[in-house]
Amino acid sequence: MNKSASQLGSRKAGKESSRGTPARDAPIGNGPRLARVRISVSRPRLSHGTLETRKKHRGARRVRLIPDARKARPTLGTAMSYTLKAGQPILTKRIPCWPFADPKGRHVVSYDEYVRSGGYEGLRKALSMKPDSVTEEVKKSVLRGRGGAGFPTGLKWTFLPKLTTDESGVEADPGARYLAINADESEPGTFKDRLLMDFDPHLVLEGIAICCYACRIRTAFIFIRGEYHHQAHVLETAIKEAYENGIFGGKGLLGGTATGRGGPFAVECHVHRGAGAYICGEETALLEALEGKRGWPRIKPPFPAIKGLFGRPTIINNVETVAHLPSIVEHGSEWFTRQGVASTFPNGMASYGTKLMGVSGHVNRPGCYECDLGIPLRTLVEEHCQGMRGGKKFKGAIAGGISMGILGPDQYEAEMDFDIGRKHNVLGLGTACPTVFDQDTDMVAVARNIARFFKHESCGQCTPCREGSGWLYQLLGRIEEGHGRTKDLDLTLEIATSMGSMPGTTICGLADGNNWAVRTIINKYRAEFEARVRPTFVPIRMTVGAMAKG
Amino acid sequence: MSSPTPTITINGVRRPFSPGQTILQVANAAGVEVPQYCYHDGLSVVASCRICLCEVWSPNPRTGALEPFMGGKLVPSCQQTASDGMVVHTDSPKAVANQKAVMEYLLINHPLDCPVCDQSGECFLQDYSYQYGRGVSRFQEEKVKQPKKDLGNHVLLYSDRCIMCTRCVRFTREVTGTGELMVMGRGNKEEIDVFPGIPINNELSGNVIDLCPVGALLDKDFLFQQRVWYLKETPSIDPITASGDNIWIHHNEGKIHRVKPRENPRVNKWWITDEVRYGWKFVHSADRLGAPARKQYGYPAQSDFPRAYEIAVAGLRRAVEDGGRVALLASPMIACEEAYLLAQVVREIDREAVLAVGPVPVKGSDRVYPPGASEDDPRAFKVHAEKAPNARGVRRVLEALAGPGQVLDFEAFLRAMGKGTGSSGVRAALVTGNYPSAWTTPELLGCLGGKFIVAIDTLAGPHVDAADISLPAATFAEKSGTFENARGMIQSFERALTAFEGARPEGQIAFDLLHLIACGGEYERAGATRPEVYDAADIRSRMAAEHETLGVFASAVGHPAPRPQARPDMRLVEI
Ligand SMILES: Cc1cc2nc3c(=O)[nH]c(=O)nc-3n(C[C@H](O)[C@H](O)[C@H](O)COP(=O)(O)O)c2cc1C
Ligand code: SF4
Ligand code: SF4
Ligand code: FES
Repeated sequence: MNKSASQLGSRKAGKESSRGTPARDAPIGNGPRLARVRISVSRPRLSHGTLETRKKHRGARRVRLIPDARKARPTLGTAMSYTLKAGQPILTKRIPCWPFADPKGRHVVSYDEYVRSGGYEGLRKALSMKPDSVTEEVKKSVLRGRGGAGFPTGLKWTFLPKLTTDESGVEADPGARYLAINADESEPGTFKDRLLMDFDPHLVLEGIAICCYACRIRTAFIFIRGEYHHQAHVLETAIKEAYENGIFGGKGLLGGTATGRGGPFAVECHVHRGAGAYICGEETALLEALEGKRGWPRIKPPFPAIKGLFGRPTIINNVETVAHLPSIVEHGSEWFTRQGVASTFPNGMASYGTKLMGVSGHVNRPGCYECDLGIPLRTLVEEHCQGMRGGKKFKGAIAGGISMGILGPDQYEAEMDFDIGRKHNVLGLGTACPTVFDQDTDMVAVARNIARFFKHESCGQCTPCREGSGWLYQLLGRIEEGHGRTKDLDLTLEIATSMGSMPGTTICGLADGNNWAVRTIINKYRAEFEARVRPTFVPIRMTVGAMAKG
Repeated sequence: MSSPTPTITINGVRRPFSPGQTILQVANAAGVEVPQYCYHDGLSVVASCRICLCEVWSPNPRTGALEPFMGGKLVPSCQQTASDGMVVHTDSPKAVANQKAVMEYLLINHPLDCPVCDQSGECFLQDYSYQYGRGVSRFQEEKVKQPKKDLGNHVLLYSDRCIMCTRCVRFTREVTGTGELMVMGRGNKEEIDVFPGIPINNELSGNVIDLCPVGALLDKDFLFQQRVWYLKETPSIDPITASGDNIWIHHNEGKIHRVKPRENPRVNKWWITDEVRYGWKFVHSADRLGAPARKQYGYPAQSDFPRAYEIAVAGLRRAVEDGGRVALLASPMIACEEAYLLAQVVREIDREAVLAVGPVPVKGSDRVYPPGASEDDPRAFKVHAEKAPNARGVRRVLEALAGPGQVLDFEAFLRAMGKGTGSSGVRAALVTGNYPSAWTTPELLGCLGGKFIVAIDTLAGPHVDAADISLPAATFAEKSGTFENARGMIQSFERALTAFEGARPEGQIAFDLLHLIACGGEYERAGATRPEVYDAADIRSRMAAEHETLGVFASAVGHPAPRPQARPDMRLVEI
């Protein structure tokens, strides 16, 4: 009887809804009965809504603070109005890049050309200084690592074990110490180190030599991702040139200019090609890989500066980070701090210097641009990249490599500096290589695709990352296909959270990246996800009749 | 703030620790349960399973006020060394949330195999999911399927059950140094594997099975033999080599099903060799002697104990009456107590009986693991070339009776028996065996000829057939006793099984013979009283009391540590 009633109800409901009134089950009889109540079981949105709005306002105010950025209200096709604070490109001095030059003129800069255009002057100057003063200069410049974490480079160098000096002030032999250059650029959407290695390898080598001198390191390894065949070749050729010209090798830096303990300070430089794993970009996994082992991140402490490659003190720096060193040493830290922006947070660490920003996605002119840190994303897209492709609307952008999370539609004004994480609810600036999405992008598919990447790249050491990344991908795949339910969304968020956002749950940051990417996409585009899933129905027993009447 | 001995507080209780210990080690020593998969005392720390994470607060060095350690991150307790004044919570909401999450992750791709899994019942995954997991699975997707693999002579891998703790991999790298196992693949498609064509056949390979916290690595020998909850465990000592490895005998209904290492930091650490692990097979050999026999018309004929004893005592006595000597060949495979009693038997008949220790087999040379480690390294594990558990103990006991230097080794025994010539003063001998395999040599057979021989052994063999009387003995699993290992440590073992039907421990046989001798050698007369019952502990105290040199048997015997009691998982309330 109940069954026929509900059939009746549904028929009736059909009719009613066609008339525009809400569907209701017709109550029959007075006894207790099951009613279907539609409840969408979803946790109240994480407080991002309010938080973000607040932050957005603050961000908007911030925009007004930078006059350049305000002036540069973009219109498609107008002449360039954005200039670098230094007046000219620094990292891309020898690499023609938009908007300053036409990339058609790019070519590999040879040793001779590099020296002719002022190359190796920074190294020459460094060698005239004490190693510790070089470190001090880098520290003062507040150069922050360009590999993702933004850790101050000078500070990192000082973590190396201090060297004892004898009465005459001669330092003890540091023993074996290593420099590992992180050229494992595998973060999806990131292609900035590649530009340097493609065309101006000597800039990187000069930076390596300066770092080695400052930290008394005699051996440097460049760990380059396996897929960079051509770049590895360019680097190797350049290293050969550098050896021939006395930058590296037997006679010592610059042919014997620099003296270390017991003779010239000679640096050896090697290129090591990876075997194709994103995780080998994580600094300790990189060390394992360099040692010829499986690229599994190590537990810390001990930190690499104390016990790194082959158990010896090791400095790990990104390619772009060391590429900044020659100009910092040559022009001084004061010059460097005039570029970029200071932090807007009280006592916040500044974001000085320029940054290579590789923009990809739905823009008219994707490519790698050198900009001052702090450039608003809108300026980057509308001016450098000449706007959104097809004049479409901006929907969002991955902040800087997908591990960092996403900037939502209302965060177009976000300034690309190291404060971005705290201001815009993303993990950080990352590699500052945004991938831009236009209004037609399916964000569910984006989330699913990102989850696929992390599932594929999880090294498999930590339980939460290994299992959680696979599960997330499966869940998002199901949601994308329309087989998900509202509760799956909550589950997805919960998995993302327990995998990484609870600090310390995993050995390395890959799980955090996965979590931030997926979590921010779901939170910032929640409506899109909700539209894709079917609601969860929960049967509720309720009493109608006498009690209800009372 | 700091006290003389540093302490940390775990879940509200203060525990002292020695510097350098990790939080997990302190907790383990104090009996506080912290879930752990990848950590193992004998291996390096990788902190990859992430279930042992706990919430830690530590005092600020300047103010002394408690502050969240590492900025409030969850801390892997297996990696973090304890420091004075730390306050650790393994049951705080944050820590519990992580435990729940990790358990859920481990189970999503784990097959529901428990009903057919050998590990079931002693599986960490089961135990922890009961204690720390959630009751239902929220996983609706497809599980990752992985193959079963044959990794070596003893080891089988069910990849899909693996939780990737990498204990097994670390074992082959850090302990054996052979590195056969590796991790293959990435993410949740990861598998343990061997390099193609290089199976895991090192002499410690069986330990990876014990190390595996789940049912991924399985023992081919134990595969589908028993549900583990039917097994009873008895502490015992390695019966076939001189290392004195501590073992558990797992048995049920009178049958041994497997042998597992018993942790002892002073002897075998956490490991045993495959030789010991699978060395118990002779206990259930088809060649076990099941009844006494006497020689009739040159052939052995089945007899019974009373008759066999009578003939034995009479034969031994006659040898002395004829002006000859009696000899005892005490095998290095029997317990100290038994050697003592058997020596008393022969000395009861002949005050000047010849006492000798049986052949001590040696195979290869001693090896220390990890390769290159010093023997005294706290992690070193030594494999002894000497393949007898008690050569030193038997000699120690016999020398206490006969005087130092008066006990012959096997070569000297053969000479005393008139090797080659056949003529000697010895007219009768009591020969014990108990070796795990045939041990009769032509030389032995040669010089036994023409003498009155009583053989006490477990397995059939030419010298047993040639003996005038043979008596079936019991193996190490069927009696208690002590063995003295190569480093001079005397360790006791307990009886796991009742003796094989028809067989008796050598110690009991000795008591029976002593009783018969005391009663004049006639079973009819002896029948009125009963012989003593062999009980190793009794005899140890008697040995120590009777001979000063055997005082060690009262003072220095290593007994098995009691098995930690399982804790109830219910919270007990006072009523
Ligand atoms: C999963 C993961 C992947 C990473 N990949 C890279 C990479 O491809 N390139 C890079 O330079 N840094 C990468 N990093 C950051 C490095 O761990 C490290 O912070 C950086 O190399 C330090 O150099 P820097 O101080 O010069 O930035 C990665 C980090 C993580 C957690
Ligand atoms: S977080 Fe993931 S990638 Fe990083 S070490 Fe753990 S399992 Fe490997
Ligand atoms: S096979 Fe067992 S011991 Fe080896 S990694 Fe897997 S779960 Fe751990
Ligand atoms: S036991 Fe600590 S992480 Fe596995």
